[in-house]
Parts: sequence; C-alpha cells; structure tokens
Amino acid sequence: MLYVPVGVVFVNAVVDDGGATLAFVREVLTDPFYFGALADVFAEPLSVRHHLASVAGWLAAVSVSVSLEYPLPGVPLPVPVPGLETPGIRTGLFGFTAYQAALSTVASVALGLPAAYILANYEFRGRQTLRSLTILPFVLPGIMVAVGFYAMFGRTGTLNGLLGVGGVGPYPFIEWNPLAVVIVAHAFYNAPLVARVTVAAWESVDARTVETARSLGASPRRAFRDVIVPQLLPAILTGALLTFIFTFMTFPIVLALGGLQLATVEVWIYDRVRRLAYAEAATLTVLETLLSLALTYAYLRYESAQSGLARGAGEPDREPLFPDLRTALSPRRVAILGYGLVAVVVFVGPLASLVAGSVTDGSGLTGRHYAFLLERQLEGADYQTLPWVAIRNSLVFGVATLAVAVPMGVVVSVVTVRAGRGGAIVDTLAMLPLAVSGVVFGIGLLRGLVFGIPLPGGWRFQVTGAVAIVFAHAVAAYPFVTRNVSPLLSNLDPAMVESARALGATRYRALRDVELPLVASGIVAGAAFAFAISIGEFSSTVILAGGGQSYTMPVAVERYLGRRSGPAIAMGTVLLAVTAASFVVVDRVGGRFER
Amino acid sequence: MRRRTFVGAVGGSAIAGVAGCLTRDGDGSEDDDGTGDPEPENPDLEGEVQVATYDSMVNGENPAGPWLKDAFEEAYPDAELTWTVPENGINDYIDRSQQNAEIDADVYLGANLDDLVRVDDNLEDGGLLRELNVDRIDNAERIRDGLDMGDPHGRVLAYDTGYVSPVYDEELVDEPETLDDLTEPAYEDALLAQNAQGSDTGQAFLLWTIDAYGEDGYLDYWRELEANGVRILEDWQESYNGAYMNGERSMVISYSTDQVFANEYDYEMSRHQVAFPDGQAYANPEGMGIFEGASELDLAYEFLDFALSNDAQAVIAQRNVQFPAVDEEYVDLDEEFDQYAHTPTEAVTIGYDRLRGNLDGWVDDWAREFAGR
Repeated sequence: MLYVPVGVVFVNAVVDDGGATLAFVREVLTDPFYFGALADVFAEPLSVRHHLASVAGWLAAVSVSVSLEYPLPGVPLPVPVPGLETPGIRTGLFGFTAYQAALSTVASVALGLPAAYILANYEFRGRQTLRSLTILPFVLPGIMVAVGFYAMFGRTGTLNGLLGVGGVGPYPFIEWNPLAVVIVAHAFYNAPLVARVTVAAWESVDARTVETARSLGASPRRAFRDVIVPQLLPAILTGALLTFIFTFMTFPIVLALGGLQLATVEVWIYDRVRRLAYAEAATLTVLETLLSLALTYAYLRYESAQSGLARGAGEPDREPLFPDLRTALSPRRVAILGYGLVAVVVFVGPLASLVAGSVTDGSGLTGRHYAFLLERQLEGADYQTLPWVAIRNSLVFGVATLAVAVPMGVVVSVVTVRAGRGGAIVDTLAMLPLAVSGVVFGIGLLRGLVFGIPLPGGWRFQVTGAVAIVFAHAVAAYPFVTRNVSPLLSNLDPAMVESARALGATRYRALRDVELPLVASGIVAGAAFAFAISIGEFSSTVILAGGGQSYTMPVAVERYLGRRSGPAIAMGTVLLAVTAASFVVVDRVGGRFER
Repeated sequence: MRRRTFVGAVGGSAIAGVAGCLTRDGDGSEDDDGTGDPEPENPDLEGEVQVATYDSMVNGENPAGPWLKDAFEEAYPDAELTWTVPENGINDYIDRSQQNAEIDADVYLGANLDDLVRVDDNLEDGGLLRELNVDRIDNAERIRDGLDMGDPHGRVLAYDTGYVSPVYDEELVDEPETLDDLTEPAYEDALLAQNAQGSDTGQAFLLWTIDAYGEDGYLDYWRELEANGVRILEDWQESYNGAYMNGERSMVISYSTDQVFANEYDYEMSRHQVAFPDGQAYANPEGMGIFEGASELDLAYEFLDFALSNDAQAVIAQRNVQFPAVDEEYVDLDEEFDQYAHTPTEAVTIGYDRLRGNLDGWVDDWAREFAGR
C-alpha cells in the first residue's frame, strides 16, 4: 500500500530505457540551481584543495559592521543591528528549502512550547477542550490557511480592522516580509503539533521525581532543568523533527503567501509531475526523502540512547491559572497573558477570519455560501460533490483509520524502541510515509493502483475506493502514533517490564498491564493525530476517490473553489466545526484510558 | 452503468478489465489520415457517452455541466451523458495511454493548446484524440475567425475562449497603456501575477510577454518587473481571492470578464477595472475533442455539434463566464453579460507550432530567474 506506489515512481529516478542509471541523480546533484555552491563539490568531490580555496576566499570577504535601523515603520525607534556582510553564497533550491524549514522549526518550537507549558501545568476552565483543539489547524487544506491568513493579515484584513479602531494602520503585514509570513503560517500548522506532543510527555512526567529533587535541596529551577527537561527533550525533539520534515516538503503555503522567490523543492517536484517529467520528479523526491530519513535516523539513534528512568506518572498537580487578582498580576501570569495574545493573533485570528469569510461577501453579511451547500445537498446530482457525503466519509474514514493506525503504531513502537541500531533502522523506514512528497505518493497511487498493475494473462491488479483510502490514511497516520508513544516508552524504566515478566506475566500481559497504561497519554495524542491526518489528507484521497462517491471534506473544499471562494470557505468552516467536535470526543473518550 | 473501477483490498483479489481490449493505438490511425470517421448512414444514438472535463464545469457555483446534460439527453432521448472529472486533467489520460490502461471517456471538454503540446511530447504526434471529421459537425462553421486552435492534427474545436488581462483598482493606479508601463515607478509593488508552472493565467501572461518581447527579451522584461516588485503567487485563487480581494495590491492578472462577477456580487466596480495594455490581452481558447478509442463515436460527434448550438453556447459562456466560440449571430447573450465582459482590440495567442518543443524551456528559464537564489 505504501511501498508499491512509492516504488512505482522512485524507479523512474534510476531506470532509463530499461537500464539502470545514475545520470539523473548526477545531473541534479551537480546543478547549482538545486544545490548552489555544493553542486561544485558534488561535481568534483576529489579536488579538495580547490574547494578549500573557495571557502578561504569566501571567509576573507566577510566583514562585520553595526548600523542603526528602524524596524517599525512610522515608529522612530532606532535599533542597532549588527550587520554581517557576507559575499553572496548560492544556496540553491535545496539549500533554501532547508533554510526556511529550519527557521519554521525554530518558530514552531518557540510558539509551541509555551502552550505545552501552560496546558500541562495550569488548571483553568476549558483546559481539556483547548488541549483537544490544539491540532485543529493541522486538518485545514493549504488553500484555506492561505485565505485565512490573507483575511487576517491582509491590508483590509481583520487585524488591520482592529488596529484601525485604535487609530493605527493599516499595515501591509504580508508585504513587509513574505518569508516571515510563510514561517508564521508554518508555525500555525506545526506549533500545535509541537505543543501536543510535548503536553503528552509533560503529563506523563512523574511528579514524585520533582518532589524528590526538591526535598534533596534542588531549587525549582534546578529541578526543572535536571529532572523535567531530560524527560521532555525526546518529545520536543520529536515535534521539531516532524516540523522540519513537514516544512521541508511544504508546498501550497510557500507560493500561496510568499511567492515564487520562496519556491521549495516540492514546488519543482510538482511542476515536473505536471509536465510528466517523472525521472526528474522522482530524482528530486528521492533526494528529498533521503534527507528527511537521514535526519530521522540521527534523531532515533539519540532517542534510543536515552536510558529510561521514569517509573510511571503520579497525578500531576496543576496550579490554578488565575486564582486571584494578585497572582494574576505576577510577572509569570503577565507573560502567560502576553503569550495568549500572540496565540490569539496567530492561531485564532486566521481561523476566525475564515469563519467570518464564510458569512460575508464583498458587500456585507450573507448566508448565500451556506445556502449553496444546502442547495447542493438537496438538489445536487449524484455526479456532483455533495456536502453530507463528504462529511460522512470523512468521519467513517477517520474512525477506521484510528482502528488500524493506533494498534499498528503501538506495535511498531514496542518492537523498535529497545532494539538498538537495528530498531532505529526499522523505525526510520517506518517513518517513510511522512518523508515522501504527497504529490509523488499520489502519482504513485494513480499509476500503480488506480490504473492497475499488469499481471500475466492480461489481468490488471487495481485498488481504489473506500478500503484503499483507509489504508492510505492509516499508512500516513501510524508514524504519528509511533512518534508519540516511542519517546514515552523509551523513557520507561526497563526494570518494570522485567519485574513483571519475572513475576510470571506474559510479554503481552506486561505490555497491556504495565507499559500501555503508563504511555496512555502518548497513545491518546497519537490517536488524535491519526484522526487529524485522516480528516486532513488530500493528495492520495482525491486520487483514490476518483470520480466515485468516496470523497472527503478537504476534497469537497477544493472542488467548491470557483470564481468566488465563499462556497469553499463555507465548506472549510463545516470541516473545522465537524473536526473540532470530533477532537473533543476523541480526547474525552481517550481521556478515560489515561490513568 | 458501467463500473469504471473495482474495489479491492490489499492482498485481496481485485480484478479489472483486460488490457488487450483497448482499441486506441498508433498502428491504425496513420494510414487513413483525413478520411477517418466518415458520416454514417444510420448513426447509433443510443448509449452512454462519457465526457471528461474540469471541476468547475460540474461542481462550482451554478455550473454549466448539469444544464448541458439535461438538454443533451432531452435532444437525444436514447442517450445518457455522464460527466467524469480526471484529477490531473489531460495528464491522467496521457498516463493511462502510456501504461496501456483503459480509457472509458469518449469526449474531452476543456483542452488548451498546451495540453495538446504535452500529449504530442509524451505520446506519438497527434495522439490520444482523433482527427475530427469536421463535416460531421454542422455547427463547426459557426466558429468565429481567429478561434481556430491551430492543431496540425485537427483534433479539437474551440467551444469558448477567455482573455487574460490585468484587473486594477482605478483609485490606486491608472490603467497601464503598455506592458512597459508596468515596469515604471507608478506601478511599483502593484502587480500580482501567478506561477506559470502551474497556473493558466500565469502561463498566459508569461506567453504574452514572450509574444511582446521575443524569446530573447522576455527574461529582461521580467527582471525589470521583479525590480519593480512583482509578486508571483501560486495560482489564480490565492492571488485573486486571497491577496487581491483582501486589499494586498492594486493590480492582479485575471480575466477580462472580471466585471461580470463584480456586477453579479455587487462589488465596488472601481476595484474591478479591466486593462488592455497595448490594446491587447492573451486569448486562451478551450477546445473539445474525441478520444481515439471512443466507444460511442456517433454520440460523441453529436455532443460536439450540440455544444456549438445556440442555447448551449449561451449557457456555457454565461455560466463559465467565458466568451462564446461562435459568431454573434448564432448566440443570444444577456445584455448584462455584453455590458460587463470586455474584449481587447487585439487578441494575442502563441500557436501550437511555436509552443511545441519550447514551452517547457521558456517556463523553466523563467522560473529559475526567481527561485533558488
């Protein structure tokens, strides 16, 4: 289900006219357009002296200066900016792609960690619901995120409207720095991911270990640094790794908000697929995937090197967020409020603007976008895309994906987590679904499974429709379960399973009664992700659904896009509402199994 | 209804059509050039004709597809018209053809010139769609002059056309008189364009500049545009519904029918002014053709004829918001449509011959100017 479609495309990278060749790979590696300055190195890897000379020449041309700049237009606030004058270095498409992915990862972690801290350590009304809703941005189709960002940050957008009430603006936020906007949009997608993974780990930190450290005289800061951080680090790095891989393969967002100057490798892959140049598309994809997998492998080696110390979670004690006015004014609470404000602008803003866009028109309030959905549902023909069918399919596929992906992910976790080097390799390969470009996976499905694979005797092996979609979703989703569960599992003290076994428990019994309850928060988080992946998946769903009746909500959103975006936005809002409700249910049901 | 696909699970025994039943191929079509598809004495007008098209023909707001189906089935009571929307347009059929997978569709509605070029680059020359016997399509002679799609293999007839042109806010900028104007300070940070790699409007505007400045000069022109702050977004959706409609910039590459929508939805007309620099706009005629292996050949020919009839032309034009392909006397359009849909003095199109073998290179050279720097 995974390896066949991927293989169908990848084979194009190394086979030409029936013979094996590395010409395509070589061509890409040595093209400065793709690899910038590195292309030179790939072209002649052995002329070390020549390359060292280039590096020395570059270093010699570096100069440092300090200048005063006015970062806020209209505000006379000079800020000294240390300028690092470097002669231009050509990064190439891969270099730029990695650069923006790294920035996006930093931004996502920076925005995601405070959220995890608040959700894990403070008690307030709606905490659990908020925790359930954190991954909501994850299911939004790219075009909806773009429209939401324009509606929020555009020159006539919501934010400028609010600022206008205060008599300032309008500011061209998106025009100022397109790269920054793209990175914020990536954080919109991925900071919630970082937060969700980290909350799961934080909630399974054993509060008693902190108490022990404190009773031994550690300051709160020291206890945090020496006891909590080591237990959180695998989860945080997991979040960062996933973010990097996702933003490395980012496609619709960069060009929708930033423009062609910010094109990534995926943009080129998409173009090559579109003009049916599969050899080049496959070559780019293979390189992209190898890079992602190499990073994954490096991380997994680190993760498996973490010796587990945790012996299971006690009930975490959460402070009330705002017990009284005095506490509410303490620096820490003010900082939380400040973060809350940023979160409202970055996360709630685009979503709310999107919802607002579904009930407005160029000329004011309107209900006609929803009227369109209703009319299509009631009067649409069966060859058209009907809203209810899409909603129903999404929910059914989501639940079915849960049923397949959660056990799959947990099993992979259990098998690989203590298997050392071999386990890391298996685990890395198991991450393949995340590391393959969606476009290419879609094309692989189309050429491999939808058209059918010719078999001897004139038969063709074809796979399409609902069952195939569930499998495609499950394959895309189970790595999330694995990645949420593995850090917790690797943190567990192996002695616990060993003592259970020594006392006569079977391996299965030890898993069920000892390990799983202790990593339940990871399983619930993984399940929420699996559901989200299934709801949000677009590229393989649309291919496998074909002209049939198994389309989902994101597919419907795409199909309703016309000259006006209103009907699609209305469908996008329905998608948000249905997903939000489901997340709350998944988390509540899942919550019963946590402790 | 025939089932187009079989459902099966991994490892399950999914079966499907026998590959050998395909009738399309290069070996039969070359020896009867021009004389293919003679007019039958008793055309077979019974059966299911499958028409492949793009999404907005079927799924958008007020699409033309359902009307065409109902009207066609009324005119041919023994026929059933089914729509199919291939996910990747004509590429899906090129792929199928290359892999010898079955093609069920009879008619393709919505082929652009560059689609034909891609067919010929990837399959054999003149492949996928059959050379039409235009004598069988009575209404074909109604097609306006200048809308000949110029396919040397005569595979497609235009059924509508659109003009790609800048749309601007007259309160912020003046109408650009020439393409050169767009590189002037008056239009600094004003223009939104689209990625020619994936967007129809983006590609049309790029081809327009190639027509105006030549293969050797268009990149210089784009460098000046870049210096003047042009923004190239992915697609028409993002640039128009995203950026332009949220006030990001004062000009966007769009369609010359823009005001039809502005009127219909009561938008501020000052922000929906259509410009024709140098009196020109780039014409994108949309064509229809019949697959080589069509199983309902007679009905397919009837459909092509029907699509060029009076009522069908009016409905296609108005619901698709494009211009009809036939001469004025053969189509009755609403007055409002006439009033708000603008046509340039001169329509620019780069024909099949120049596109063939050049298009990918032009687009690639252009894209590399901007990306990966």
